Amino acid sequence: MTVVLGLAIILLLVIVAYPLMWLLLAAFGVPGDIGLSHFARAYARFQNIEPLLNTLILAIGAGFLSVVLGVPLAWATARSDMPFRNTVRACVALSYITPPYLSALAFIILLGPDAGYLNRLLRLVIDVPTGPFNVFGMTGIILVISLHVFAFTFFLTEAALKSVDASFEEAAQILGARRWTTIVKINLPLVAPAITGGALLAAVESLALFGPQAFLGTPAQISFLPTRIYAVVSSYPPRWGEAAALSLILILLTCIGLLIQRSYLERRSYVTIGGKGARLRPVPLGRWKWLLLAFCFTVVFFSAIAPVGVLLLASVSDSWVAPLSTGNFTIEHFRRALIEDQMAARGIWNSLRLATSAALIAVIVGAAIAYIDLRTRLAGRRLLDYLAILPLGLPGTVMAIGLLLAFIRPPLVIYATIWILLVAYVARFIPLATRSVNGALRQVDSSLEEAARIAGATWLQAIRLILLPLVRPALLVAFLLVFIPAFAELSATILLYTSGTETISIAIFRLNDLGQLEVVAALSVFTIAVVLIVSLALSWLSNRSPLRRNTPPKV
Amino acid sequence: MSTIRRRRFIQGVGAGAAIALGGSGGWAQSASTELSDYTQIDVERARAEGTISFYTSLDTQIVDEVIRTFKAEHGIDVTYFRGGSADVTSKVLAEADAGRLQADLVDASDLAALLIMKERGLLKPFRSRAIDAVDETLRDPDGTWIADRLTQACIQYNSDEFGEAPPRTWAELAEEPYASRLIYFSSANGDGAPRLYTLAQTFGWELLEAFAAAKPFRVQTPQLITQLIESGERGVAFCTNDNIAWRSKRGNKPTDYVYPAEGVPTELGALGLFQGSAKPHAAALFYEYWMSKEGQELMANAGGKYSSRSDAAPPEGSPPLAEIELLTLDPRHYAENRADILQRMADTFGGEWGV
Repeated sequence: MTVVLGLAIILLLVIVAYPLMWLLLAAFGVPGDIGLSHFARAYARFQNIEPLLNTLILAIGAGFLSVVLGVPLAWATARSDMPFRNTVRACVALSYITPPYLSALAFIILLGPDAGYLNRLLRLVIDVPTGPFNVFGMTGIILVISLHVFAFTFFLTEAALKSVDASFEEAAQILGARRWTTIVKINLPLVAPAITGGALLAAVESLALFGPQAFLGTPAQISFLPTRIYAVVSSYPPRWGEAAALSLILILLTCIGLLIQRSYLERRSYVTIGGKGARLRPVPLGRWKWLLLAFCFTVVFFSAIAPVGVLLLASVSDSWVAPLSTGNFTIEHFRRALIEDQMAARGIWNSLRLATSAALIAVIVGAAIAYIDLRTRLAGRRLLDYLAILPLGLPGTVMAIGLLLAFIRPPLVIYATIWILLVAYVARFIPLATRSVNGALRQVDSSLEEAARIAGATWLQAIRLILLPLVRPALLVAFLLVFIPAFAELSATILLYTSGTETISIAIFRLNDLGQLEVVAALSVFTIAVVLIVSLALSWLSNRSPLRRNTPPKV
Repeated sequence: MSTIRRRRFIQGVGAGAAIALGGSGGWAQSASTELSDYTQIDVERARAEGTISFYTSLDTQIVDEVIRTFKAEHGIDVTYFRGGSADVTSKVLAEADAGRLQADLVDASDLAALLIMKERGLLKPFRSRAIDAVDETLRDPDGTWIADRLTQACIQYNSDEFGEAPPRTWAELAEEPYASRLIYFSSANGDGAPRLYTLAQTFGWELLEAFAAAKPFRVQTPQLITQLIESGERGVAFCTNDNIAWRSKRGNKPTDYVYPAEGVPTELGALGLFQGSAKPHAAALFYEYWMSKEGQELMANAGGKYSSRSDAAPPEGSPPLAEIELLTLDPRHYAENRADILQRMADTFGGEWGV
C-alpha cells in the first residue's frame, strides 16, 4: 500500500511541483543573474504590456458574452416549456467538446473577410466590396472564444435554476407578480452566484486558451499572453526568463479569477434547495417560446452546428473558396490527411497513444490520490490533494514552459522525447481524473472494505474485490474525461513537440501555416469525430453508472 | 457493456499504452568516427544507419520530392520537421541545450541562424563534392555550412486586377492603386525580417514606413500570401518568395510576379551537418545528394528555387540570376543585430515579431 501511494506522491511532485519550481526560479533569473531583471524587462516593454491588456479585454469580453449567451439558454432549458430543450442542451455540449482552435478554423472558413461562406452569401444581397464580417480582430476573437466558453455559464446556471425552491416563485405569483418580474426579481438573484461563477470560469478559460488566439490573433496582429509567451521562446535564442516572468502573470490572473469564482460558488449556500415537494413547473411561454427557440437555435447554430458543418464542407470541397457544386466534391483531402501526409499520419498515431497512456496514468494516480485523501490519515494528504487540483489554474502554455525548463536539464532530461508530452498531458489533466474518482469514492462507505478486512481479506483483496467493482464505472468515466482533452491538446504540445512526436493538433497547426485549409479541415473533422464518439461513450457510461451523479463539466 | 468486457477494455488499453510508449527509442549520444570529407562516406554503413532526421524551412513539396528520389536511389528514408527558419532554429537550440538534438542535418533560409549554430559548435566541418560548383562566397571556409539555394523577395500580384499596369518599383507600392491592396508575411518569430531589413538598408527605413502606413495585411507564410493573391482577396504582395510566385504562375493561377530592376533582396538558404549525429554516413550521403547537380535541379524544377550551384539551370522559365539585381545581407551583421532589427520591425509594422 505504501509503495503504490508513495509512487503517486513522488510522481505528482515530479510532474507538477518540480516544473513549477523551475518556472519560479527562471523568472527570478536562476541560473544566472538572480533578481528581478526579467520582470523589469518583461514589463517595461510595450510588446508585453499590450498582450497583457488584450488578454484582460478578452477575458472580460468573453465572461460578459458568456452570460449573454449562456443565461437565456440555461433558463430556456431548465425552466421553460420551450420545445427541443434537450437538443439545445446537447448542442451546447457539442460546442464545448469541439476543441476551440478547430472552432477558430471553422470561423475563418465562415467569416473570412472575403472568401468566408457567410460573407459571400451576404454579399449576394448587400453591396459591399468585402466583408461585411471579419473574424480577424478582437471582436471576432472574443466571439469565437465566447461561443466555446459560454458552456461553463450555461451548465452552472442551468444546474442552479433547477435547484431553486419553487415556493419563492409561487409566492411571487400568488402576490400577483408578473412572469417577467418573477424571473428578474426572484429567479435571477437566486442564481446570481452561479451566473457570476460561470462567467468567471469562462473568463479564466479564455485567458488560458492558445489556439484561437494563434489562429485568429496572429493574422490580425493582436497578441495575447499565451501567444506572446510562445513567440518569446520560439524566437531564437529562446528567452526563458522573459517567458517565465510572463507566465507568472498569467498564473496570477488565473488564480485571482478562480479564487473569486470559488468564493462566489460558496455563497451558493443561500440558493435554497427545497424538499421533494417543491418541484418546479416549467414556465408556460405561449407564443414567446418560438422567439426564445429562435434565439437558442441561433446561438447553438453558431457555436456547434455551423463550425462542424463548414469544416465538413471544406474537407470534401476540392477548393473551399470555389462555389459549392457536385464537381467540387472530393474525398482526396481525407486521403492526404489520414494516409499520405507523413506528419499527419504520425500525429494521429501519437495523439491516440499519448491520450490513451495519459488517461490511464491519470486515472491510476488520481485514484491513488483520492484514496489517500478519503481513506487514510496520512500527514500531508491535503497538500497532495491540492497539488492534484493545482494544474486547473495553470494554462497549457505556462505548464509547458515549466516542463521545458525542468526537463531540459539534468537530472531528468526528457525534453525532445515523447515522454515530455506524456508528462504534460498527465499533469494538465490529472485534476479531471482525481475529481471524478474522488466523487465516486465519497459515495462508497469505507465500512464495506472494513467488513472485508475483518473477514480476513488483505488490503489488496479488499480493494480488488470490494472497492474496485464499485467504482469501476467511475474509473472509466475518469479515463474518458482525460482522453478527450488530451487527444486534441495544442497549447502545451506546441512548445514541447519535436520531429517525430507531432500530434494531430500540431499537424493541423503546421498545415494551416502552409495554407492547406482543406486538408486541415479533413484532419479537424477526424478529430471531432473521435472526440464525439468518445464523449457519447462517456455520457452513456455515466448515465448508467450505479453511482449516478452529475459529472462536473470538464474544466 | 458487461463487466468482463469492460475489464478487457481496460486491460487492452493498458497493454496498448505499454507497447505504444515502449516503442520510442532514445537518441544515441555517441558520435561515431570522424567524417569530414565526402570521400569518406561509406554507403553500406549509411544504409545500416537507416532513417535520418532533417530539420528544414523549405517548402514541403520540394522536400518530399528530394526525399522520394533519395529513398528510391539509396533505400534510406528521411523524416523531417518543417517550420519557419526561426522555428527550426529555436528547436535546434533548445534541443541542443537539453543535449538531445533530434536532427542529423539542418537547412534554414536564415544564414544568421546557421552562424549561431556554428558558434555553438553544433555544426560539423565537412568538405562537400559540391564546393567546386558553389562560389566561395556562398559557403563557409570551415565547411560547416553551404548555401543550397537563393530565394528572391519579389513582388507578386493578381494579374486579373493589375495585369494591365503591374507595379515596377518598390516605392510605387506605397501608392494607390496598390497601397490599399498590399499583403506581406512574417511569422510571429520574425521570419520575414531579413528581407525587409535588406530593403531598408538599400532604400532607407522610409520605404518600410511608407509600406506600414498603407496598413498592409500580414500573414504567416509566403504560401498563405499566394493563396490570397490567387483568390483575389489581396492584390499585391511585397517581399514574397519568388519560387512560390513561380509555382502559382505555372499552375495557371491568375498571378504574376516581378523583380524590380532597382534591386531584389536575396536570401541564402544553407545546409549543415550536425556534430554528434549518430548517423553520420547516412546524413552525409543525403547532404551530398541534396547538393549534387541532380538534387539541386530537382529542387529547381519541383519548387522553383534557384540553386547555389553555378552549373545548375535556373527554374524553367525564370531569368538567369545574373540578370537580376540582387541585394544581399551580411549574415554576421544580421546575427549580431537581430534583436534590434526585429524591435524596429515591431515598431514600424506593429504586431508580433518575437522580440
